[in-house]
Amino acid sequence: MLNYVWISMIAIAIVVGVGKDVSDEIANPYRNGRALEVRLDLRRQLDDERTRWEGDLVVGGEIFGTFYGVTAPGPVVRQSVQVTVREGKGTLLLTPGETTSGLWKTMAASGTIKGKLSGTLTNIQVVDGIPTGGSVEFESIRFVKLRAITQAALDFANTAVDISLGLIGIMALWLGLIKVAEEAGLVALLTRALRPLTRRLFPDVPHDHPAVGAMIMNIAANMLGLNNAATPMGLKAMEELNKINPKIGTATNAMCTFLVINTSGLTLIPATAIAVRAAAGSANPGIIIGTSIIGAGCATVAGLIAVKLLQRLPMYRVEGGKGHD
Amino acid sequence: MTELFRAFLNVISVIAIPTLIVVFLGWGFVKKVKVYEVFVEGAKEGFQTAVRIIPYLVAMLFAIGVFRASGAMDVLITLLTPATSLIGMPAEALPMALLRPLSGSGSLGLMTEIMKTHGPDSFLGVLVSTMYGSTETTFYVLAVYFGSAAVKNTRHALPAGLIADFFGMIGALLICRILFGV
Repeated sequence: MLNYVWISMIAIAIVVGVGKDVSDEIANPYRNGRALEVRLDLRRQLDDERTRWEGDLVVGGEIFGTFYGVTAPGPVVRQSVQVTVREGKGTLLLTPGETTSGLWKTMAASGTIKGKLSGTLTNIQVVDGIPTGGSVEFESIRFVKLRAITQAALDFANTAVDISLGLIGIMALWLGLIKVAEEAGLVALLTRALRPLTRRLFPDVPHDHPAVGAMIMNIAANMLGLNNAATPMGLKAMEELNKINPKIGTATNAMCTFLVINTSGLTLIPATAIAVRAAAGSANPGIIIGTSIIGAGCATVAGLIAVKLLQRLPMYRVEGGKGHD
Repeated sequence: MTELFRAFLNVISVIAIPTLIVVFLGWGFVKKVKVYEVFVEGAKEGFQTAVRIIPYLVAMLFAIGVFRASGAMDVLITLLTPATSLIGMPAEALPMALLRPLSGSGSLGLMTEIMKTHGPDSFLGVLVSTMYGSTETTFYVLAVYFGSAAVKNTRHALPAGLIADFFGMIGALLICRILFGV
């Protein structure tokens, strides 16, 4: 299943990306090869020869809207730019900021200079030696989606490594603490107390196995919203479960059940959502505690039923291993 | 009542980790475990586990990143909107339901965005934050957890996880409509 989902995500991405880029070639939403009439409000001179300036590019909202075929973003579009004029030929460099139109931001992201949008300036009007207006033709923007896909592939590969390496410290801390608790017999005590529950959920795991203790601690930490303790405990549980895996590299029923409990995310404290609500100025950020518990409760129950039913399907049977349940 | 519950939960989230550290180490010390030596023994596995996850997480995040960058999500949303509007899912909340299992940071950004636009206490604000709290980032958890055990064949874990996500989202929608619905 994961094989198909994985390849589908990538294939769909490429097909949709190429499709969008081809339709952009036809519709030309970035107006490649066409010039926009602008006024220039250049306040700062950047060199002594009066060739480089900094200031604002100003376009009426209506003109901008008509030119790009979008609704007018406001009465006036103002955008900070750098302008260079030499021997009557002008170039313009636009650096997107907070207020920049989304269209220009997209164009800048695909520009030849990373994060900036360049253009050529013709029909330059000059007053007192300072350029005050002209026609701007921005560089041609093509293959926006394919560029974005390439960038995402590289960025997310890096993100994955950052996340993994970022786990080292916290993993080491909790694995150390758990080891002490194990040696002290604390984990065994916990395991015995919750045996009625775990026996039902994980029938194929020996009831005094260290995996059971780790799973209980993981679930408890998740309930209390202690995310950075829950992950190390969960990974420890997975490694322990793997020690009784008859077919290494293939998930056991217990692993799948444990995973679904984790992906359903049942917690008494949806801390992140509450924090975001508080930051957004909610009068009652905690109002979602009850609704989240019900939502995640639905997910957990449905997930457990699904995992127990699906494990019987012939397509998910473990070949070579014993029936394992 | 909810105030009291919240205060209780706040206290737990502050004292839980110190308490666990004290109980684990204290119990070990009382039981004459060589706490320092055993701690170090356990901790040294942290590095291997983290490194073992890398290929699994790279494969997963790369596919999700590419999928999101291509704009395929918008296509999916356009296709699904007629069906989901039948069960009363607001069009603004559908991206949240689709993104939540795929990307933790993506859905967090989306939730923040929707609250900024519609207000955190609007029906949409409550609904998307409930949705965010109603399930985990299934694809990420799958990659990390199975990665740590070097499991490549995940069998029925993904379909079961996605079924859980689906019902989590439906549950969130229904309870919000019942309690805060318009």
